[in-house]
Amino acid sequence: MSHSETDKSVSFMRSLCMGQIEEDVLLPFPEMSEDEKETLRGVAEALGSMLGAHTEDFRHWDREGHFPESFIEELKEFGAFGLVIPEEHGGLGFGSMAYSRALQEVAKYDASTAVTIGAHSSIGMRGLLLFGNEKQNARFYPKLATGEMIAAFCLTEPGAGSDAASITTKATREGDEWVLDGNKLWITNGGIASFFTVFAKTDEGRKGGMTAFLVTSDMEGVSVGPHEDKMGLRASSTTTVAFDSVRVPAANVLGEVGQGFKVAMKILNSGRTGLGGGSVGAMKKIIELATAQASERKQFGKPIAEYGLVRRKIGHMVVDCYAAEAVVSVVAGLVDEGFEDYAVEAAISKVYATEALWRTVDEGLQIAGGNGFMCEFPYERMLRDCRINRIFEGTNDILRLFIALNGMDGVASQLKELVSVRKSIFSAPIKGFGVLQDYAAKHAQLATGARVKGTHFTKLAPELGKHAEAFEQATRELASAVDRILRKHGKDIIGKQFASNRLAEIMIDLFVWASVMARVNAAIEAKASDVETQLRILEVFAGRAGSRIRANFRKIDDNDDEHIKALSDHAFEHGKFGWDTL
Amino acid sequence: MKILVPIKRVADPDNANKVKVSGDGTQVTSEGLEWKMNPFDEWSLEAALRLTEDGAKKTRTGEVVLVTIGPKDAAQTVRTGLSMGAERGILVEANDQELDSNMVAQILKAIVDKEKPDLVVMGKQTVDGDSNVAGTVLAELLGWPLANYAMSLATDDDGKTLTVKRELDTGVSTIKVTGPAVITTSDRILKPESVKNGVTPADFKYPEAEGGRYASLKGIMAAKKKPIDEVTAASLGATPQKTLSYLKFELPAARSGQTTFVESVEELVQKLKSDAKVL
Repeated sequence: MSHSETDKSVSFMRSLCMGQIEEDVLLPFPEMSEDEKETLRGVAEALGSMLGAHTEDFRHWDREGHFPESFIEELKEFGAFGLVIPEEHGGLGFGSMAYSRALQEVAKYDASTAVTIGAHSSIGMRGLLLFGNEKQNARFYPKLATGEMIAAFCLTEPGAGSDAASITTKATREGDEWVLDGNKLWITNGGIASFFTVFAKTDEGRKGGMTAFLVTSDMEGVSVGPHEDKMGLRASSTTTVAFDSVRVPAANVLGEVGQGFKVAMKILNSGRTGLGGGSVGAMKKIIELATAQASERKQFGKPIAEYGLVRRKIGHMVVDCYAAEAVVSVVAGLVDEGFEDYAVEAAISKVYATEALWRTVDEGLQIAGGNGFMCEFPYERMLRDCRINRIFEGTNDILRLFIALNGMDGVASQLKELVSVRKSIFSAPIKGFGVLQDYAAKHAQLATGARVKGTHFTKLAPELGKHAEAFEQATRELASAVDRILRKHGKDIIGKQFASNRLAEIMIDLFVWASVMARVNAAIEAKASDVETQLRILEVFAGRAGSRIRANFRKIDDNDDEHIKALSDHAFEHGKFGWDTL
Repeated sequence: MKILVPIKRVADPDNANKVKVSGDGTQVTSEGLEWKMNPFDEWSLEAALRLTEDGAKKTRTGEVVLVTIGPKDAAQTVRTGLSMGAERGILVEANDQELDSNMVAQILKAIVDKEKPDLVVMGKQTVDGDSNVAGTVLAELLGWPLANYAMSLATDDDGKTLTVKRELDTGVSTIKVTGPAVITTSDRILKPESVKNGVTPADFKYPEAEGGRYASLKGIMAAKKKPIDEVTAASLGATPQKTLSYLKFELPAARSGQTTFVESVEELVQKLKSDAKVL
C-alpha cells in the first residue's frame, strides 16, 4: 500500500459528488502484508479452535439469554479484548484491516461473542484509543488489554437515540471533579463492563455542548440494571447504566471539554469496520451452510443445488458478500492509512454490509426451507442476531441522511463564496441547509471548473475499461443529481428526506461499485487464477448498480413521493389501516 | 528440562476427501491441500508443554524445541507450535515426498546430537503415512530407552526419571524410564491428569480437550518473535539413507453410501448375509 503522496484530507465520496474521481484515495485496494496475513491465519485458526468447541454451547447460551462467566473468562485469557490495543501496552496492536478480519472470524461462530468483543474494541474503548492522553492510556490500556476491564460505550438515553445531541445526562464541575448524573439505555456489555465511556451535557445552554468522560465501575454511584431480554444477540449483555452523583476526577475527561459530540462521532466512524467485518463473517458462514444444505437436500430426484432459483440466490449471495468485504476493506484501508475524512465512506460500508447480511441470511434461510425455521438449525438465530445491525451504531435511515447531506456539503465547500456558510451547515447539519438557496447560481462554475481534471480513472487495469467508463458516466450523473436535487429544493433540502434518501442510494451504490472495481483490479494485477470469476461479480454488481442509479436519477423529478406522503398521512390520521372487506 | 518435539505437517484430516493421487500413481499430490500439524504430534507437544510448565500459574519452567523436516513453508506449522507455547523451532529443509521413516529418524538423531535434549517426545505415528516407526528407530539410533504409546507421564526430578503408563492392546503397562529417553504418545495423554511434573500442583486438572491447547492471541503475537533456525541434513552432518520406496498409490474404492433401514433383528441378520455378505 502506498498512499504516502496522497492528500489525506480528501474524501473519495465528497469529491465524487463534485464529479471528481480521486483514484489515489481508492487505489490500490488495501492488502495486508504477508506477515500480517500469516498472523491472521494463525488468529483465525486459534479462534476456530476456541469458538468451534462451543458450537453447541452458543445455541444454549442464546436460549438462556446470557453467557456464563467462565466463557467471558476464557475470552479474556485468549486475548480477545486486546485486539486493537497497542502492543507496548499489552495488546495485539491490530489496525482496522486486521481487526475487521479477526471479527469476521468470530462472527462465523457466534454474533453475541462478536458483539461482546466488538462493543469493547469498536466503541467502548475506542475513545481512549483516539483521544486518550498518555496518562489515561497508561492507566487503562493494560487492564483493557487483558479484559480485566471490559469497556462499554454510553451515549444512548431513553429520550436520545438517533438525536444524540439531545442527551440529558449532565456533568457539573465541582473543583477538581465533575459530578455526573443521568441514565443510559441499551448499553452493550453493561453487565460485564467496568470501564464506561460516558457522554454528558457540560453546557446546558448550548445544544450539543457535551463532554466525554472515562468512568469506572468502582466510582460510587455507578449502577447497572438487569440484563435485557432481546430478540437477538441474546447472550451478549445489554443493560441500563445509571450515574447517580458520580464524582469523576477531571483527569478522566476524554478529549476536550465541550467536544463530546465530535468525540462520539469519531468513535462511531472509526469503529465501523468492526461491525462491517462481523457482517461479512456471518455472510460467509451462511454461504457455507446454504451450499452444503442445497447440495444435500434432494427434491424431485435431484439436489436442489441444481435448480435455477436456488443457484440464483447463491449467486447473489456471492456478489453481496464480495462487495461487502470490498467496501469494508476499503474503509479499513482509509483508517489505517491515516485518511482524516472517511465518515461518509464508513457510513456507506455500515449500511451496505448490514443490509447485505440481512438479505443473505434471509435467502439462506429460504434455501433451508422448513429447516431454516427450526431452532435446531443456525439460520433463525443468525436472522435474529443480525437484525439489530441495521439499528445500532446509527440507524441505517439516519446514516442515509448523513451520507446525502455530507455529500452535498462537500459540493458547497467547493464554492468559495459559500465557505463561511458551510461551517454553519456542518455544525448544525439539520438546520443549516437554508443557506444553500443561491447554490444553483453558483453551480455553473463547478460544472465547468471541476471536470477538467480527475474525472477519469487512469490507474485501472485495461480489462476494466468498460466498467471504468460506466462508472465515470454514473459519476457525472451523481454530480448532476446533487445539482438537480439542490436546484429543486434549495433551502428546503434539509426537510426533504425522500430526496436525500434517493441521493444516498446513488452514493452507496457508487462507493460499493468503486470498491468492487478496486478489489477486482487488485486481483488482475496480482494475476489471480480466478480473475474471470471475480470479473463476473463486477459484471453483476455494476449492471445492477447502474440501473438502480439511473432509476433513482429519473425519480428526482418523476416520482410518487407525494402519493406516499398522502397515504402515510391517511394512516396517521386514522391510526390504522383505513379499509376493510367487512 | 529441555524437550525436543518433532512435528510434521499433514493434509488436514478434516478435508481428507481432497487428497488426490497423481495421474501416474507415483505420489499423493499436495496441491490445494490445507496443511495442519499431525494430530499425534500436537498431542505430544501438549504433553511436552505440560512437562515444562506450572500449569496452575501458567508459567514456563523448561524449554520445548520443535523440529520439522520439510519445505520452507512448513515453517508455518512450526509457528503454530510456537504460538501454543514452545520456545523455538528448527526447520530441516527437505522435500517431504522423498522421505521415509528411516531418514526422518536419522535426521532427528543429528538434531538430538546437536541439541542434547533431556527427552524427545513425539507422536506415535503420523496420520498420513501411519507407519509408527520413526520414534522407535530414533531410540535405537540414539541407544536411548524408548517408552512408546505413552498415555501418562510423571516425573518429580525434572525428567531424569519418569513413570510412564503405556497403552497396549493387552492393557496398561507401567514402566520406569531413566532419561534421556524417547517417548511416543497416544491421545490419552490429553486427559486432565495424565501429565505430572512435580511443579504443577498435584491436584491440578487440565481442561478436557480433544486436541492440544489452542494458541491464545498473545501466544500468536509472541510466536512471531521466536526463532526458527533453518538447517539442512547436510549442514547437520547427516547423510540419511532411504530404505523404503513407494511403488504405487491408489485411492480406496468409493463407498456406495447407501443406507438400508430394517424393521427387525431378523431382517438385519438376513440383510447382513444376503446384501452385505459379511456373515
